Amino acid sequence: MRTRAIGSLLTAALLLAGAMSAMAADQASTPDPKIKVGDTAPDFTLRDQSGKEVKLSDFHGKKNVVLAFYVFAFTGG
Amino acid sequence: MKAYQDQLKTLEGTDTQVLGVSMDSPFANKAWAQQIGVTFPLLSDMGGDISKEYGVYNPSYKAARRVTYLIDKDGKVVEMQKDRDAIDPTEVVTSCQRRRMKG
Repeated sequence: MRTRAIGSLLTAALLLAGAMSAMAADQASTPDPKIKVGDTAPDFTLRDQSGKEVKLSDFHGKKNVVLAFYVFAFTGG
Repeated sequence: MKAYQDQLKTLEGTDTQVLGVSMDSPFANKAWAQQIGVTFPLLSDMGGDISKEYGVYNPSYKAARRVTYLIDKDGKVVEMQKDRDAIDPTEVVTSCQRRRMKG
């Protein structure tokens, strides 16, 4: 009886440890962005919603740029 | 993105261009922009090359992560906000106004 109680306690502890390491792994899978404050923003040319090409470096010397990455269209934020 | 649209006039008044970026197609972005009334460019990074280059690609969603950069006129990153913090544009707007005053 006693061994069984210890056994289930051990199982619970193992499960908890497993869940915790899974959570840690999930956090590790979203490390900090590569490009940080102080870096030069890598240039790109991408198409906007009307099919027009937009080049980041076209704004150099003219405008600040807010570059807002978002997850999916049709979602909040 | 709607929050940025609401602040667009203020941001444009500080010489700031707003660009949204995601891994959606231009067609999805067009429909979405019309639906929520976004008039600034929503850029399509299909395949995620740019998201990966910036290090904001999230492999578990196979999509870009919510990260906002403020890039100055010299092309340098002067501010970065991640995830939940990146949704509210207030800080970016304040920062642009401050930079504007510095001239």
